[in-house]
Amino acid sequence: MREVEPSVLKWRVLTSYMMPWPNPGKLPEESSRRSGRFPYLVITLMVALLTTVFWKVGNAFNLVNLALLYLLPVLVSAARWGRGPSFYAAGIGVVSFDFFFVPPVHRFSVADIRYLVSFIVYLAVAAFTASLAAQLRQNAREAIAREAVTSSLFTLSTQVAAGRDLDQVLREIVVHAWNTFGLPTAILLPHPNGELQVQVMAGFPDGKLTPALEPRVIEWVYKHGQMAGYGSSAHRDGNFLYVPLKTESKVHGVMCVGADHRRTGTSKSARIPVVQALAGLASVSIARTHFEEEAKIAHLTAESERLRTALLDSISHELRTPLATIIGAATALGEGASVLSADDQHELLLTVHEGAMRMNRLVTNLLGMVRLESGMLRLNKKWCDVSDMIGVALSQVHDALQNRKVSVHLPSGLPPVAVDDVLVEQALVNLLSNAIKYSPDGSAIDIDALEYDGVLTLRIRDRGIGIPEDEADKIFDKFYRSQSAQAIPGTGLGLAICKGIIQAHGGEIYARPADDTGTVFTIRLPVGDSEQQGLSLGDTEEMSF
Amino acid sequence: MGAKILIVDDEVQIRRLLRVTLEAHGFSTVEANRGKDAVSQASFVRPDLVILDLGLPDMDGMEVLAQIRAWSSVPILVLTVREDEAGKVHALDHGADDYITKPFGMSELMARIRVALRHAARQSDQPVLHIGPLTIDLARRIVEKNGVSVKLTPIEYELLKTLAKNAGRVLTHRQLLKQVWGEQNYETAGHYLRVYVGHLRKKIEDEPTRPQLIVTEPGVGYRLVAPQEDSNEVSVNDGG
Repeated sequence: MREVEPSVLKWRVLTSYMMPWPNPGKLPEESSRRSGRFPYLVITLMVALLTTVFWKVGNAFNLVNLALLYLLPVLVSAARWGRGPSFYAAGIGVVSFDFFFVPPVHRFSVADIRYLVSFIVYLAVAAFTASLAAQLRQNAREAIAREAVTSSLFTLSTQVAAGRDLDQVLREIVVHAWNTFGLPTAILLPHPNGELQVQVMAGFPDGKLTPALEPRVIEWVYKHGQMAGYGSSAHRDGNFLYVPLKTESKVHGVMCVGADHRRTGTSKSARIPVVQALAGLASVSIARTHFEEEAKIAHLTAESERLRTALLDSISHELRTPLATIIGAATALGEGASVLSADDQHELLLTVHEGAMRMNRLVTNLLGMVRLESGMLRLNKKWCDVSDMIGVALSQVHDALQNRKVSVHLPSGLPPVAVDDVLVEQALVNLLSNAIKYSPDGSAIDIDALEYDGVLTLRIRDRGIGIPEDEADKIFDKFYRSQSAQAIPGTGLGLAICKGIIQAHGGEIYARPADDTGTVFTIRLPVGDSEQQGLSLGDTEEMSF
Repeated sequence: MGAKILIVDDEVQIRRLLRVTLEAHGFSTVEANRGKDAVSQASFVRPDLVILDLGLPDMDGMEVLAQIRAWSSVPILVLTVREDEAGKVHALDHGADDYITKPFGMSELMARIRVALRHAARQSDQPVLHIGPLTIDLARRIVEKNGVSVKLTPIEYELLKTLAKNAGRVLTHRQLLKQVWGEQNYETAGHYLRVYVGHLRKKIEDEPTRPQLIVTEPGVGYRLVAPQEDSNEVSVNDGG
């Protein structure tokens, strides 16, 4: 859509043609009854019947009574069929009255000139009654129509309020505009590139916007937040009415409404309230979606802020503590043998070593987290031996194990798994470190594995402090530390990394309290495709030397 | 020992740490803080071993490795960071003798240096290899563990022989596949290597799930180690 300076905007005068819109689903058929010959036939019969009756019992009435009775068909037809039939009723009523009852009978001539005055009064009364009745009828019909519009708008608004997806809500609005009010409607919303594009539409033949929308008018409406097009004060010649979707603060888009198919008789301005109500619904929905998005972003920002704070707290504590011990021990060692005994020096050296190892673990975990979070993680999947991975993980936690007894139970014939061995080993190391950290020295740690139906299940069981049932899932969240583990230093990163690694492999990990004491961590990993496993390299016979 | 070691690292602290420790262990050291400097020093001082940091400011450590390897067979130990498994494998497949990951323990570094120097000195094949409890008689193709004969399939034997000839050194998957199976499609054959290492472990390890002889280097390859050789570094405790 081109940017057009408002000053050079001139409304193009279109040859005012009306496209034949396709018919919406349920078009009313009220006009057919009114315009047919049926009412005139009925009126003729009524007058004929009255005339016959009066003729038979005519002597019982005087002529004035008869004239009044001839008003009956006029009233009936005015109330039922409107002005035309009622005038017809009045006409044939007067003619019949004159011909059959006014002397000279069976002639149209009138003997007494005063009857002419009666005829005129009769006709005037008939005309007045007919137009009053027709007016009433029209009012009633409009009231019913308005009520239908209102109630259907109400239904739509409740649907719209319940709708979640903006596109769906807008589609409901345009479809409703078409089906219920016969208004072919399109809604245009600004796209990221700044152009207004058709988001949803309904009621256009073949899904094409014909006759074409006028981009300049749409632009103007969007910019100024004012209506344009037929029935409005600007650009009256258009095929469409362009309504800005406006809330207090801004214009969200433009709704384009084609000619009303249904009530061609009513004035164009009468449907503007309906269109505005629809536009209002659309703008409220759009604004609501915007606010929801903004709220979501605000929530995310707050969440990342919280995480950053947790990260800073955790890291500053976790880095400073080992740093303090390293710097302290190193400066003490600098004083040399004159102050410290050989045993003291050895102990300080151990302190430095432990502090540095702790920092190393933290840095490893932080880097692992960054790699997982930044999407830099690429799985380098290979066929890996489960016992090999467990062996590597155990050798890495060898020192930390101290006197804990690790027993590994692997069934024979465990298939190889297609995983990134370095990452899975890291996950196993983190799980083992976790088991070591929360269990007393000398306790047992069991590792077992089994494969069933293409899924490898690995379990690590410790006899440590255990995990409350309600925290079992939270401990895999970043920086989450169990309430019962506050006294034990940690960052809350290790298990989050485990989870990230296992999920990247399409597996799952969870923790459950063990039967008596401690915790069972379970990893479930898909084994992967089993191609190439049946091949042999022709090395079956054993050699004896 | 008195071997001359060229230390290539841009970090002053690492160079100082290596210089002090290596000299305390009786080596003499030469230092270079740039890649270009390292290449010229390598040809100028003719070191017995090079410790090369792969992350240098002026040129890629791989390039330094290639330039030295172009004319010299001096053992080269590369210093890498933990996450860079592909870099380790690439360096090993392109002429590095071994690698050590930062941060490293000094005993580990000393063990690597000793192994690399020993291999450089002993180019000729020995007829009988002794690695920990294993005795491998290359001439008679006999493998014994603690004096008891071990039955191996031909491929298992070749695998063990290759590892044993490079005892203490890491061998990448590609190197092992090339030497044991000859030319192969390394990507698909990698699986067999794992299978045969598993078989071999069952026959020679006391506890196959916690191997002491054939050690897996995650993402890189395997290393045959003699347990008593590095017994001093695990003497802190022996859990499990």
